[in-house]
Amino acid sequence: MSVHTAVVLAAGEGTRLRPLTRNRPKPMLPAANRPILEYVFDALVDAGIDRIVAVVGYKRDRVQDHFGPTYRDVPIEYVVQSKQLGSGHALLQARDAVDEPMLVVNGDRIIDSHIVAGVRDAFDADTGVPTLAVLERRDVHQYGAVVIQGEDVETIVEKPETDEYRLINGGVYAFDETVFDAIEETPRQQGELALTDTLARFVETGQVRAVETNGMWVDATYPWDLLTMATEVLARGRTDEPERGTNVWIDDDAIVHDAATLQPPVVVGPDCEVSPGAVVGPNVALGRNVTVGANATVERSVLDADTRVDPGSILQDTVTGQAVHLGAGTVVPGGPADVRVGTHVFEDQRLGAVVGDRARAEGNVSLAPGTLVGPNAHLHTGVLADGHVEEDAEVVR
Amino acid sequence: MCGIIGSVGRDGETLDVLVHGLSKLEYRGYDSAGVALTGDGLQTRKCAGEIDDLRAELEHEPPAGVVGIGHTRWSTHGPPTDENAHPHQDCTGDVAVVHNGIIENYQSLRDELVAAGHTFESDTDTEVVPHLIEDALADGAGPEAAFRSAISKLEGSYAVAAVVDGTEAIFAARNDSPLVLGIDDDAYYLASDVPAFRDHTDRVVYLEDGEFATLRADEWIVSDGTGETVEKAVNTVDWDPEETGKSGYEHFMLKEIHEQPRALRQCLRGRVDELAGEVDIGDLADLSPTGVQFVACGTSYHAALYGAQLLREAGIPAQAFLASEYATATPPIGDALVVGVTQSGETADTLSALREARRRGARTLAVTNVVGSTAARECDHVLYIRAGPEIGVAATKTFVSQLAALNLLALGVTNCPDARETIAALRELPSDTQAILDDSTAESVAEQYADASAYFFIGREHQYPVALEGALKLKEITYKHAEGFAGGELKHGPLALVTDDTPVFAVVTGDDATATKLVGNVKEVEARDAPVVAVTDGQSDVERYADEVLRIPETHPRAAAVLANVQLQLVAYHTAARLGRSIDKPRNLAKSVTVE
Repeated sequence: MSVHTAVVLAAGEGTRLRPLTRNRPKPMLPAANRPILEYVFDALVDAGIDRIVAVVGYKRDRVQDHFGPTYRDVPIEYVVQSKQLGSGHALLQARDAVDEPMLVVNGDRIIDSHIVAGVRDAFDADTGVPTLAVLERRDVHQYGAVVIQGEDVETIVEKPETDEYRLINGGVYAFDETVFDAIEETPRQQGELALTDTLARFVETGQVRAVETNGMWVDATYPWDLLTMATEVLARGRTDEPERGTNVWIDDDAIVHDAATLQPPVVVGPDCEVSPGAVVGPNVALGRNVTVGANATVERSVLDADTRVDPGSILQDTVTGQAVHLGAGTVVPGGPADVRVGTHVFEDQRLGAVVGDRARAEGNVSLAPGTLVGPNAHLHTGVLADGHVEEDAEVVR
Repeated sequence: MCGIIGSVGRDGETLDVLVHGLSKLEYRGYDSAGVALTGDGLQTRKCAGEIDDLRAELEHEPPAGVVGIGHTRWSTHGPPTDENAHPHQDCTGDVAVVHNGIIENYQSLRDELVAAGHTFESDTDTEVVPHLIEDALADGAGPEAAFRSAISKLEGSYAVAAVVDGTEAIFAARNDSPLVLGIDDDAYYLASDVPAFRDHTDRVVYLEDGEFATLRADEWIVSDGTGETVEKAVNTVDWDPEETGKSGYEHFMLKEIHEQPRALRQCLRGRVDELAGEVDIGDLADLSPTGVQFVACGTSYHAALYGAQLLREAGIPAQAFLASEYATATPPIGDALVVGVTQSGETADTLSALREARRRGARTLAVTNVVGSTAARECDHVLYIRAGPEIGVAATKTFVSQLAALNLLALGVTNCPDARETIAALRELPSDTQAILDDSTAESVAEQYADASAYFFIGREHQYPVALEGALKLKEITYKHAEGFAGGELKHGPLALVTDDTPVFAVVTGDDATATKLVGNVKEVEARDAPVVAVTDGQSDVERYADEVLRIPETHPRAAAVLANVQLQLVAYHTAARLGRSIDKPRNLAKSVTVE
């Protein structure tokens, strides 16, 4: 029997991506100009999955509103994880919705349908041996390192500090329905149930099969990762907009003035308007209904839905949330910059600025490289900002 | 409103198809339901109450057959009882009929039939139909001829479907009530509305008034009143059947409130060009009306009031009329364009107002959500609002889409001096609406005032229709007393109703003379101890006099009306949820009102 149901874990906020997650969970952040979760669903549907159970929680209305009851004719059932107590706890919420073998995937990373198909094909429902995807990565220290012996997992080391490891856990699993009991039997760590803890118990007490796969697998941990994510998506041409020139994708319902210049790769979403003299690209993704004013320059940036860039602005290495309004002559020079997230300072990151949902800059505002602007913040005319601008802040010169 | 479903060719599954279809018609509102199947004798089951009651009824000895019809009834003649539920039968039990609409001459027909010895079991107008068929059959007519003979005697509005024992066919006719056929490779369906069979097929045939349809296992035929076959186009509908799911929300209404950013995007898509400062509404731009008369009912009427205001601002004389009044007390039309605003395109009152206008030679335009609906087909022109299917009886996303579409109409047929600003504001509507959905405090406002004795809503200019709609929404789903007033009217009477137990919702946007006057009205009610809830963009000083504030983003005054409405929708929803009301199917109400 082939597995035809997938449980997608899409309940977490992704706190390290603040301020972009003020109004939506990480799976709904843009990979180029579509939500990450759309790529996950695409991978599942392309691999032949015909039922999706989405575990939603943090700001779940954004997931539900975007996808509704079906995605590409595959029905989606929503189950709610009201407190985010770990990935194992999230999967447990799907218990009443699933009583058969299933795939389990994280909703907040782009995956390829080959990875999904690989795990599905390797999983033997008769034995029910848990199966997971492993793939080769350089940055193993950020993920769960997996050591395999033949097809079997020997150990899993979470976020290893040594660099002897080569393979990571790709976050794509196949289980049978006994996984729910196994999660319940797993001791909680500081109140949380991580799916990887249950997996570790499977490794200790029985067998876990590993499927070595390759293909697109892109994660975003910090806001500036959305820039590299967009670059990867565009480099692979993974957009669903029509291609109008080499690596220039423009939606049918977008308006790009004849006197505007699009430098590939670039994608322009539906309802966008790009004015005369604007130079957009390379490596730019304009989400739905974005407006770029006359003579504005936008390079290596992700501008999410409803963002408005007024005439004469210059944006490099910039990520905007939704409905951000940057007034005439806003300037954001690109990185490198030192960016503080929480108590940690990340040095030499290539980042111009991250601007939270509905933040507004009046004209002639400059944002120093590495600036994080909180949602709904209001930067008045002529402000020079750097570091962190708090949510709802009124900043005057 | 009543709903009809019929199925031919699904041997063994007929009952499931019918009951599933009825559940998909639930959104129309109903108080009883029933089915009739034929194949191995004619069997009928029906009862007052919910579809689940009918399901329970069907559990013992479920009827079977290759042909069947089903019905959800919304009472017009006679209370909701088992007897009054459809299907209705004749004296012999060989004929079963379901009907949507009103048979105006039923009393005289019934008197004649009773005099001739027929026995009636219900109070309905419908029951004359099976008895008329019975008479014709007794005179030797075949089933189809008998059906035609019965229909020829009816006056009024109807969509009728009948089955006759021993004949594996459904006979149907339409006049002024919607009826659509579903065409599949090995089965045929008929229904009042596409969702009833959309899970089985996406190919549909819309019947016109005066047409008959006969469905058999191997053929479907549409004919006119004289029996001549009519060639009908088979259309494909693109609605996703699962769009009728609640996608994680407790109620369709809340789901639809949350779908508004998307509905607005769909409405505006490809139609606005801020760079050029123009809208694209196709041929409608050539209408160049010298005057406009809107006709509409309920929520659509509030949209019409708003639309009339937009046109007047552009210098075109425009008025909004209640369709039911317009149909019987028609004003002079002159050269005016008559615009019917109807979500379903099947609202009987609006259709009859539009027909009256056409009869008098007026040009007509339908502003509707449903492609292929009667209004869309009968009017000279149509503007689709593209909101997608709406299931909750209380209109939400279709109202905001109507407002957006009417802005497009106003911009398209006039030369607005501030077109570019308006277009920019329209383009920002989806995100502004999302901002309200993200941060609204309507739930806590609703909690605080859920037990109030009455609710009043005031607004001026663009916000006056919003006040009316806010009150209607609250009435519809909370069953509480609510009224909307033009701010200036308060002191001319309604102020007498204001107490410390009647919250007043004041919609104040901008900071111009109109806002100042409304703030004056707020002071009037505040002085009488009424709790004040201000819906505002924060530009005026209304917050000083308000107990609670529901904030909307700053925008163009026209767009502000759309946003203020969203806050009031949320207040109505959360109040009804707290009171435990049947939010998606409020008592006594129907989604599309297809009787006058």
